[in-house]
Amino acid sequence: MLKSASDGTSTAQSRPGGWLERWAERHLRYLMLAPTVLILLALTIFPSLYMFYAAVHRISPNPDLPWEFVGAGNFARLLSDAQFHVALRNTIVFTVVAVTVEFLLGLGLALLLDKFIRRLTFLKTVLMIPMMLPPIAVAITWKLIYEPQFGVLNEIMYRLGLPLQAWAGDVNLAMFSIIVADVWQWTPFIFLLMLAGLASLPVEPYEAAALDGASSWRQFWDLTIPFLKPVIAIALLLRVMDALRLFDLVFILTGGGPADRTKVLSLYIYQVAYRFADPGYAAAISLFVLFVTIVLSTWFMKRMRLAD
Amino acid sequence: MATRTLHRRSRTKEVLTRLLAYLAILVALILTLFPIYWIAANSFKFDIDIFAVPPEWLPRNPTLKHYQEAFIQRPFLRYALNSFLVAVGTTIVSVVFGTMAGYALARFHYPWQWRKQVSFWILSTRMMPPIVSIIPLYLFFNYFQMLNTKSALVIAYTAFNLPFATWMMKSYFQDLPVELEEAAVVDGDTRWGAFLHVALPLARPGLAATAIFCLIISWNEFLLSLIITLTEQSQTLPIGIAGRVTQYNTYWGEISAAGFMACVPIVIFAFIVQKHLVRGLSLGAVKG
Repeated sequence: MLKSASDGTSTAQSRPGGWLERWAERHLRYLMLAPTVLILLALTIFPSLYMFYAAVHRISPNPDLPWEFVGAGNFARLLSDAQFHVALRNTIVFTVVAVTVEFLLGLGLALLLDKFIRRLTFLKTVLMIPMMLPPIAVAITWKLIYEPQFGVLNEIMYRLGLPLQAWAGDVNLAMFSIIVADVWQWTPFIFLLMLAGLASLPVEPYEAAALDGASSWRQFWDLTIPFLKPVIAIALLLRVMDALRLFDLVFILTGGGPADRTKVLSLYIYQVAYRFADPGYAAAISLFVLFVTIVLSTWFMKRMRLAD
Repeated sequence: MATRTLHRRSRTKEVLTRLLAYLAILVALILTLFPIYWIAANSFKFDIDIFAVPPEWLPRNPTLKHYQEAFIQRPFLRYALNSFLVAVGTTIVSVVFGTMAGYALARFHYPWQWRKQVSFWILSTRMMPPIVSIIPLYLFFNYFQMLNTKSALVIAYTAFNLPFATWMMKSYFQDLPVELEEAAVVDGDTRWGAFLHVALPLARPGLAATAIFCLIISWNEFLLSLIITLTEQSQTLPIGIAGRVTQYNTYWGEISAAGFMACVPIVIFAFIVQKHLVRGLSLGAVKG
């Protein structure tokens, strides 16, 4: 690190320039960081505090009426609100299933292709396209594919002699349909990160293991997985955080239905705040989601020492 | 003889793996590209052909009708322009401040482990789900009469683009050799000058990649725009598309055209940043 710059002032003082410039140079490390810290404080801490304030009130949709203080009332409602429990369960099911499938598919593909496609940047980029696309465009694309009357999927079912389905409109298949679309968009993410991880593996331990006669299965569990662990942790952390905030796909494909089968927390908060015009209660649910997110991500980042 | 059969068996195994890998690539490519092809194909069909059973795999009578509908008769050009302006505004703010903060966190010493604590806190703000901040943001923008403005969107999007830009640039600066900046300071440059004249030019590829990622993230955003904007003058492309999926009717041709158009710049950008994809997608944590 630059010693002279970070704690020495002699060079700065010997130079010509006003006292302001000298002061700025001496405190550069704080001045360069300050805008970002201040902006983020304003955009995250303020809303969080404001939400605590909103969460202990009943807020009428009529802006002229005063907020009514209800204390922990909104939080107590969380315990008895069946719709909230449904949304929570749906979010957990979606997150666990979607991320697991994406992880297994992505890792499997990466392991299979690691040996063959290191130089094919073009091919890799083509495979990466889904996750860069606007989620709304992805959602309407899959809506078109799932369309029960003229959609492609039912055409394939018909040709295979299988029963036609309503897909996103079917009580039992709606969540499955959402998960498939999400897997389509996000498996490339896991795949790409795993491929990068595999490409950076050291060669020597494998040579040593091969000399000792270790099977490729043993090599996979004893070398590849431990070496990949940091990359796996980052990939899973980012995917889980994203899956917990799922909104766009559900908004377009199912609107939370049918029969609330795909109602996830983000959508429920949105509905409570706008359709049921109950921002106080929506704030209480948001705080719950925020709490879960902070606990999960802190645990993850601390474990992986990501902040270094 | 024994070694020979062993050798042959491992060769067969290798050929099989290779075949399997190529097959997997092929299947992955088809599954990846088909949905994109399908939305594009449908955007060039007349309504009657979109509803055809069995589906028309190739548009038989290609038409630009839906593009004309969306971008000339309906305000999708306006939406696209709004998306673009908001994305550019957000990107400028995020990259300028994020680069300075990223540099500071990569190079300077701070008392009481601040470097680690601040980095960690900035990353944690990126983890905050946007749904969590919609209520305060809505009330805040309402109070300042900023609902339905593009500046409100820029402010809201900065909340998650700035942490991203900071982490990306921090990671790029950490990869640059510090000696060049040290030499500049020895030669009489100020610390700020060393950043401006030495580090920044070296980090140019990283800056470009970070900016493109910020553009993509803002261009794709949906939820915040849904809450903050209600007028044509301020709504972004994803909101415009979602608005044509109603309870009673879905305007398939129109949204296919608009949706496909929303994807085109993203695909171009993806190819520009392909070398930086891994780093960008992992917030600088994995270097690919």
